[in-house]
Amino acid sequence: MIPGKYRSVSGRAANNVNCGLHLVIQTSSLPEKNKVRFKKVEFKLNKDTSSFPGRLLQHDLERNYSSRQGDHINLVSSSLSSFPILQRSSEEKILYSDRLSLERQKLTVCPIINGEDHLRLLNFQHNFITRIQNISNLQKLISLDLYDNQIEEISGLSTLRCLRVLLLGKNRIKKISNLENLKSLDVLDLHGNQITKIENINHLCELRVLNLARNFLSHVDNLNGLDSLTELNLRHNQITFVRDVDNLPCLQHLFLSFNNISSFDSVSCLADSSSLSDITFDGNPIAQESWYKHTVLQNMMQLRQLDMKRITEEERRMASVLAKKEEEKKRESHKQSLLKEKKRLTINNVARQWDLQQQRVANIATNEDRKDSDSPQDPCQIDGSTLSAFPEETGPLDSGLNNALQGLSVIDTYLVEVDGDTLSLYGSGALESLDRNWSVQTAGMITTVSFTFIEFDEIVQVLPKLKIKFPNSLHLKFKETNLVMLQQFNALAQLRRIDQLTIDPQGNPVVNFTLWKYYVLFRLSHFSMQKINGTEVTQNDMIMAERLFGILAHVASSELPQYRLISILGDARKKQFRYLLESKGKKPGIINEENNDSKRLVGENTNRATLNYTTRDFYNEKLEEIKEKKKFCKTYIEDLVKEATEINMKNEALQKLWPQMFIELVRDAVIEIRNKNSYMKLCLQQITDQK
Amino acid sequence: MLSPERLALPDYEYLAQRHVLTYMEDAVCQLLENREDISQYGIARFFTEYFNSVCQGTHILFREFSFVQATPHNRVSFLRAFWRCFRTVGKNGDLLTMKEYHCLLQLLCPDFPLELTQKAARIVLMDDAMDCLMSFSDFLFAFQIQFYYSEFLDSVAAIYEDLLSGKNPNTVIVPTSSSGQHRQRPALGEAGMLEGVEASLFYQCLENLCDRHKYSCPPPALVKEALSNVQRLTFYGFLMALSKHHGINQALGALPDKGDLMHDPAMDEELERLVVRSKLHRTSRQHRAKEPGAFGFQRREKQEALERVSSASVPTPYHYRWEPRV
Repeated sequence: MIPGKYRSVSGRAANNVNCGLHLVIQTSSLPEKNKVRFKKVEFKLNKDTSSFPGRLLQHDLERNYSSRQGDHINLVSSSLSSFPILQRSSEEKILYSDRLSLERQKLTVCPIINGEDHLRLLNFQHNFITRIQNISNLQKLISLDLYDNQIEEISGLSTLRCLRVLLLGKNRIKKISNLENLKSLDVLDLHGNQITKIENINHLCELRVLNLARNFLSHVDNLNGLDSLTELNLRHNQITFVRDVDNLPCLQHLFLSFNNISSFDSVSCLADSSSLSDITFDGNPIAQESWYKHTVLQNMMQLRQLDMKRITEEERRMASVLAKKEEEKKRESHKQSLLKEKKRLTINNVARQWDLQQQRVANIATNEDRKDSDSPQDPCQIDGSTLSAFPEETGPLDSGLNNALQGLSVIDTYLVEVDGDTLSLYGSGALESLDRNWSVQTAGMITTVSFTFIEFDEIVQVLPKLKIKFPNSLHLKFKETNLVMLQQFNALAQLRRIDQLTIDPQGNPVVNFTLWKYYVLFRLSHFSMQKINGTEVTQNDMIMAERLFGILAHVASSELPQYRLISILGDARKKQFRYLLESKGKKPGIINEENNDSKRLVGENTNRATLNYTTRDFYNEKLEEIKEKKKFCKTYIEDLVKEATEINMKNEALQKLWPQMFIELVRDAVIEIRNKNSYMKLCLQQITDQK
Repeated sequence: MLSPERLALPDYEYLAQRHVLTYMEDAVCQLLENREDISQYGIARFFTEYFNSVCQGTHILFREFSFVQATPHNRVSFLRAFWRCFRTVGKNGDLLTMKEYHCLLQLLCPDFPLELTQKAARIVLMDDAMDCLMSFSDFLFAFQIQFYYSEFLDSVAAIYEDLLSGKNPNTVIVPTSSSGQHRQRPALGEAGMLEGVEASLFYQCLENLCDRHKYSCPPPALVKEALSNVQRLTFYGFLMALSKHHGINQALGALPDKGDLMHDPAMDEELERLVVRSKLHRTSRQHRAKEPGAFGFQRREKQEALERVSSASVPTPYHYRWEPRV
């Protein structure tokens, strides 16, 4: 009696997972010694096997059999061979002429079956048979059930050309073979074996159900030729990828539960299979992924059921939306990684240039020391002529960029990067980018500015621009910027405000000095810095800084004569003006700001304001300019000195000669007046002569 | 003022000895440089301030090296300024490298050459391990010798080299049968290599040098004193002895004695005032920093700054008032 629900129709596998299909065959028991008693033999199909929609069998199965005792099967051992010989009573032969069940007969070998050549169904379930033998004469056999035996090799089936159902589940078969002649095979059940490879089935063009569950398959391919296959059960294997499924024109149900599939790419052929409507992936790593459901749905639009659940319209819609988002994300991340790569290469390029430049400087210095007149051996100019794989490209900046988007401008020799609140500049060419029109929003968000591979002296020159364009920059970072003197920190005093300062030891020798932090705190005390190189600034630090250098400030302010104070402060102001006049995009509004700024320059601790930093080039320039003046002064003073010494000489000469002269004058006068009369006459004479 | 020695010198010589022209030229040059600013408050006042600052020794602050080196008085003033400004570093007990001392020097004179600092460091370190740390007083005294007497020391080095190689610049070279290499060195009965040169011989050469030299040199009597208790000496040993000699230090007149090096009560008072003020600033600024707007916290300092600037015209009284060298 077959319950209705077990009668399955193709396409509805839902109920058949746990079902067994019962073929009940009545046999009679034989009241003899060697006979085996049967009451009711159940020809049961294991739950892993799918339904048996074969029309052929259905009609067989629907026949009711009443359980009846009395049928006998006689197994007589023959002396001729080692095989037992099977005999049935003629009654049985007539009643059950086309079917024979030898279930649970403790058979270790297939018995010889004589006189039953028209047998159509043969059941050897639950025995211990190791080899399929002695059935070659049963050439009308349609169904052969060897479930739960110990068969190690498929063999002995070459004459069974009519065979439609072959059940070899729960055996020890290692290889699919010797099925060449079974061209009518409809159902092939090989579950629970040790099969590692799908092979030798390509000729089974009428096969509709193939069960290879619980085997050792690691991949699926070689499925071409199975033109009728509608159901393929591959549960509980070790499958990592699936191929050839698109060569199965009729495949509707594919069960891949409990395998090792982790990505959709490994089962990509499923997308091309237009007949597939029902698929299971549960128990695979892929089913744990967040993108599992919508990826499967998106790639297999023809699917109606997934993991035994119907697919709704809503789910499909969600799937396509999510899949689109995935696509976007992937594209975006690809773009990002490309940009990152470009950035990395550019930074490497800049670093290389920087190193060469440093070497060149060192070479020049040593050449000067040695007073070598030979040309230096360092390599020639490389600025701009370096070839790189990436052509010049300006990425998007500013307008439209909101939080945490990378704005990237990549050119061979320098790099400017805006990343949320950090502006990073690599290479001296990057300093020009400060001239660009930054949107107020982006510029306002920048709180950290980082300089790498740029000479500090060059940075000093753009600090005024930085102050204006990025008013909220509070944290400055310097790496590989050739900070060698404490003096250079004086240049930072012109900024509006610094909360944090990071001087990376790499490329900045100044960090090796014991006192550098205190000097920074001292000189930039008006900023009230919070952190230097990551460590908090304590009150004690500030006091120590003041103690160490306070006198320097005092001397620098109170002991300089007034004119020098003014000239030094004036210099600083003039320089700032000059930088700003040279910058582009100058608006009248800025001039007012300048005045405010210069007033505020007075506002900082003026006792330190005289501690300025002039870059070496500027300093030398200034000295050059003064040379002319010095020359003039020298000649001028020399003239003055000449005059003075002449006068002095004359004065001294006069001093020496004067006594003598005086005496002579007196003597002359006395001699003249000696004779009064003659003197009077002389005088009158002189007066008349004069007229 | 009108001492007979002064009037005895002919005019050019007098001017040269006092380096009057140097200062005159520099004054006029400064005038030209800052014409616009100075013309506002009068040339006479400018000259007054200039020569006042020369007297006080503050004229060399933040000037270029060529000026700082130009006259002995400038050198002395520079040494003194360096001492005053960075005495606190020494007092703190920090040991610094040569490069760092050079940095400090550069704070006062931006283009101070590295060679001088290196030479000074060599004296302290006895020409060994140039990256070693040095104490403030060691460095300062060595630097004093090196900087003030730099030309003299160059000549001494040449003499030393000569003596070391056996040539005595004083003796006449008489051709002899054997090579003259070892003849000048008296055999002292000690085996092996003898370091340096013999002290008395060395001194004789120095004396001649002092007579001939137009550059300033240490008083020969003091040099003799420094060499008195050694038989032989090396070049750096000699310099080290010079730098440690109190008499020479006093003769220079730039720095106080080693014992008093860290003492400067007037400056310490000033420093305390500064520290207290900075403490107040910091606490009040920390409050003010919470205020919105970047301009807020700076306006209030303008007042103090102005009052500071005006104080520059009044020279600070010196407790260590010292007379320029006569």
